[in-house]
Amino acid sequence: MSKFNLYNTEMEKKVEVLVCYGTLCHLMGGSDLQLLGELLPLDLQGKVDLKGAPCLNFCNEVDNGKPPFAVVNGRKIEQATVKKLIQEIRVELEKK
Amino acid sequence: MKPFHIDVNSSQLSKSGNNVCGDVVLSRKVKDEQRTIITVSDGLGSGIKANVLATLTASMAMNFTVEKQPIERSAKTIMSTLPIDSRRQISYATFTIVDIDNGGETQIIEFDNPAFILFRKGKLLDIPKKDLSISLNDGSERKMLFSQFTLEMDDRIVMVSDGVTQSGIGTTQMPFGFGCDSLNRFLSEQIKEDNEISAHELSRKVIRKANENDIYKPQDDITCAVIHFRSPRRLLICSGPPYNESRDKQLAQMAKSFNGKKIICGGTTSLIISRELNVGIEVGMTLDNSGLPPKSKMKGFDLVTEGILTIGKVAEILEKLHGTEVYGSGPAVEIVKYMMESDEILLLVGTKINIAHQDPTLPVELEIRRNVMHKIANLLEDKFLKDVEIQFI
Ligand code: FES
Repeated sequence: MSKFNLYNTEMEKKVEVLVCYGTLCHLMGGSDLQLLGELLPLDLQGKVDLKGAPCLNFCNEVDNGKPPFAVVNGRKIEQATVKKLIQEIRVELEKK
Repeated sequence: MKPFHIDVNSSQLSKSGNNVCGDVVLSRKVKDEQRTIITVSDGLGSGIKANVLATLTASMAMNFTVEKQPIERSAKTIMSTLPIDSRRQISYATFTIVDIDNGGETQIIEFDNPAFILFRKGKLLDIPKKDLSISLNDGSERKMLFSQFTLEMDDRIVMVSDGVTQSGIGTTQMPFGFGCDSLNRFLSEQIKEDNEISAHELSRKVIRKANENDIYKPQDDITCAVIHFRSPRRLLICSGPPYNESRDKQLAQMAKSFNGKKIICGGTTSLIISRELNVGIEVGMTLDNSGLPPKSKMKGFDLVTEGILTIGKVAEILEKLHGTEVYGSGPAVEIVKYMMESDEILLLVGTKINIAHQDPTLPVELEIRRNVMHKIANLLEDKFLKDVEIQFI
């Protein structure tokens, strides 16, 4: 890790993104979300903490919306796409 | 589950210019009697004719042995049934019959094949053999050798066709061929190098060496069969949540206490086990071209994957697979690799139906886990001769 990166993480907290890799989410388009890490715009790189989850357990209730699901800083995102997640990450960064 | 496993495997190369091998190896597990029988036969000449002779011989020897026919009679029948070669006016195929029960009690009958080799604790063991003469209907005599002994843990029996012992004949390096002594030395080196070497790997090494001796143009059909008497390699695959949450604990405990390799197939299943055993899951982010969700890591488990899509893919791979060599990458391929390396496989299947999976608007129809697991169990048993147990929870 470079000095800059270290500096970065200490100064601002990264946006936490949890992507569901469960069966339903995967089938309903979630497989594309695996590419999120690679598709992040340059200005967002290093500012996102990307993780996967086996199943976020949203898929069992209709009220939760439609898969694929992801969680951005604790907020549930339904019908997630790479584009939508990038938007949501920006929203989180602007909050600061 | 039993204390021993009899691992049988063989490798072959055809004489240069032939696409059929004139040596035949058959092996069969007689389930009810807990016996394993292996027959090796080398047909006269090479090519398709030799293959027919050897196939006939090996299968007759197999069937008579399964039926517990007295060996003299079997041998006589075999020799008088074989078709007569029009040019040489003889009918002929060698054979070796190995009959092992699950306690390791072993009987071997040899007719004109190179002598079998027994390795115990990395050393060659000499087994006294009895002569067994039979007189054929035409008045001629044939001599067979009979031996009897008890196998011990980690013993290996190696059988080769004369294409191995005579490989290299006439070359400047070994004008008289590879020979039994060099073969023995070669085998003990291999075993010394890797004490755990599988029957498959050892037999492959032998034929590779013989091929090299023949300067990569086999002068005869080359065959090596290896029997390894060892402790069974066990594999557990947990897939699916129990039908009732009160069983979650039981599932986790069974997974924890299992002695062998462990795989979890299923997101919810892995979450249950993670919660019950209080160990974290780390979902991998590695991409491969399998199209399946990525695998995860969990302490105490060898592999954690998604459920129904992955096991569906496993069933598909098993269906298409020839031999035991698995190619490609991705979580399903990895599971199949674990399966091929195991002898005893326990499938622990949760039967809770995931309602969301029954949604008719899904882009693909998701099969019921139970059915897929049944299919996998059948394939592993019938096609790959694994000991499979399936338990529903
Ligand atoms: S599969 Fe994504 S929430 Fe269940």
